[in-house]
Amino acid sequence: MSRVSFLLLMAVMASALYLVRTQYESRSLTTEIDRATSLARNLETENDRLDVERRAQATPLRVEKLAREQLHMRTITPAITQYATVAGSVASAEVRP
Amino acid sequence: MSSRSVQYTSSPLLASKTPIWRSQFIVAVIAAGFLGLVARAAYVQVIDNAFFKRQGAVRFVRTLDLPANRGRILDRHGNILASSVPVPSIWANPEDIERDPAKLKALAKLLGMSSADLDKKLQDEDKTFVWLKRQVDESVAKDIAALKIKGVYDRKEYKRIYPEGESVAHVVGFTNVENLGQEGVELTFNKALGGKAGSRRVIKDRLGRVVEDIGEMVPPVDGEDLQLSIDSKVQYFAYEKIKESVVTNKAVAGSVVVLDVKTGEVLALVNYPSYSPGKRGNLSGAQLRNRALTDTFEPGSTMKPLVVGLALEKGIVKPETLIQTAPGKLQMGTATITDAHPHGVLSVNEVIQKSSNVGTVKIALQMQPHDMWEMFTQVGLGQKPQVPFPGAVSGKVRAYKTWRPIEQATMSYGYGLSASLFQLAQAYTVFAHDGEMVPMSLVKTNQAVASGARVLSVQNATAIRNMLHMVTIQGGTAPKAQTMGYSVGGKTGTAHKVEGKGYASKKYRGFFVGIAPIDNPRIVVAVMVDEPTNGAYFGGDVAAPVFSQTVQQTLRMMGVQPDMAVKPQVVTKVEKESF
Repeated sequence: MSRVSFLLLMAVMASALYLVRTQYESRSLTTEIDRATSLARNLETENDRLDVERRAQATPLRVEKLAREQLHMRTITPAITQYATVAGSVASAEVRP
Repeated sequence: MSSRSVQYTSSPLLASKTPIWRSQFIVAVIAAGFLGLVARAAYVQVIDNAFFKRQGAVRFVRTLDLPANRGRILDRHGNILASSVPVPSIWANPEDIERDPAKLKALAKLLGMSSADLDKKLQDEDKTFVWLKRQVDESVAKDIAALKIKGVYDRKEYKRIYPEGESVAHVVGFTNVENLGQEGVELTFNKALGGKAGSRRVIKDRLGRVVEDIGEMVPPVDGEDLQLSIDSKVQYFAYEKIKESVVTNKAVAGSVVVLDVKTGEVLALVNYPSYSPGKRGNLSGAQLRNRALTDTFEPGSTMKPLVVGLALEKGIVKPETLIQTAPGKLQMGTATITDAHPHGVLSVNEVIQKSSNVGTVKIALQMQPHDMWEMFTQVGLGQKPQVPFPGAVSGKVRAYKTWRPIEQATMSYGYGLSASLFQLAQAYTVFAHDGEMVPMSLVKTNQAVASGARVLSVQNATAIRNMLHMVTIQGGTAPKAQTMGYSVGGKTGTAHKVEGKGYASKKYRGFFVGIAPIDNPRIVVAVMVDEPTNGAYFGGDVAAPVFSQTVQQTLRMMGVQPDMAVKPQVVTKVEKESF
């Protein structure tokens, strides 16, 4: 009888120690997850920020300024545009005199 | 030498007989002590357990706010018009700040404030939190961190960034420092854009790391992205052109509205003067005003096509019907209606082309006031436009029962009622959309062709478009509205500005509302220039050129092929390279 009690006692002790260990592991994993989530969030906001920055570099205002000043380009007019119509498509070119 | 009279082995104290109650008393005291402990344990663990649990939790459980991202505002092609990015805000704890004069002086300089102002913020030592400056640049925050002042910290906050700047300012609006919409779309769609913050309860350890989640997390709901119907390129181009026109004509302000007639979407809505939504120091009311929607004026001659359209619909006239407008004057009671030049006999087509007041009035007086009122209402005059904008006005069209004949006459050429530029553009979509009034939308609709209530028959809408086209060719009032490659049609308007109770003698408003391409319309463009003072003030001179340039660029960007012959200047022959 006392043998069984002793075995059970040992089992309880082992289980208790295992519980402590598991809890410790679970906590450190939670910390890891938390760190990873906040990193993900930071990367996401960084991505958003860079998106905005990229857009700010490509606004029509800046593009036109650079095109005119650095590349010496001029505004397109129909006179300098070649219009191509795909053969077989409904041609919308109804040219008026 | 003394002898031992008492032996250790037989102490009289021990030998004395102890009363039994003493040992019983001790046992009872110890038992009572244990009972007390048991009772206390029962109290802590069973009876008032909740309280102790709560107290424990207060010491290690933290509630973390999970902020929701504010949605972005995009244009029709997905370009960002507004987005939130995290920026540092500087705060301090006056209770334990390190008060080193040299360092504080450097800090004040970095924050862009005087040392006195900084001291004022830090003087209340009972406080533990004071904002020093919110939403500073990343570089400034780094410099401040480099000063290593104890008690000064930074914290991330979201700031709205508007990469397109001035050109879309009136459409997009802006938010305040708390991320709440204050103007424009930011205000109207504040709820949808804002999202909902979440929260999470956690246990933190000694080092401040999260070690355990408690209960369920309430996840944050990010704000939805909002895609507008605005085309940022058209918007920018229209802004540049109206700005140029306002500056060269020495005007007070100007607006442009571009509508897609097939879908009813607003492609551009521009006002000048404008502001940069990111830098809002020294803003004036004039800059903030979304004139295209909030300023009403008498639409003048731009009303004539609506009246003639109604006359065609009622069968009163035909486009070729001749009307005597000589001698360019018409007496009505005490009032005289005059034309700028006497024209003689004009067809209805020419009444519009030459913008004859007398001709229009003669047509209008054959109609019932009720019919005219109904026409005006059907095209949206006197009613708030459906576009969701703060401060959009409805203009004024009085109830037809109160119209006197002279008022019916003046209304037919656009005096005695008022409308905003947006309403005028909207009214002209009736002609452009083959007689149907399509609902307007500021949000991208993703539909190819919208349909709406029929106001005019297809045939009559085409007839009016033909008249509008005549306005822009030789003999019309707005040849400057012509574009290279695209046929256009439209109507000029020039109105005296109302000042106090009467008309200001030398203050005008020139405008132009037009359609392009005229045979298969894609866009309606309305342009208004307020108080041009550099000589020219007719709508045909100040507004029509802006219309022309805007139409040409917009149609090209939409990929519409020119419908008129253009002498090409494209170099197609390529000389063979010699080598």
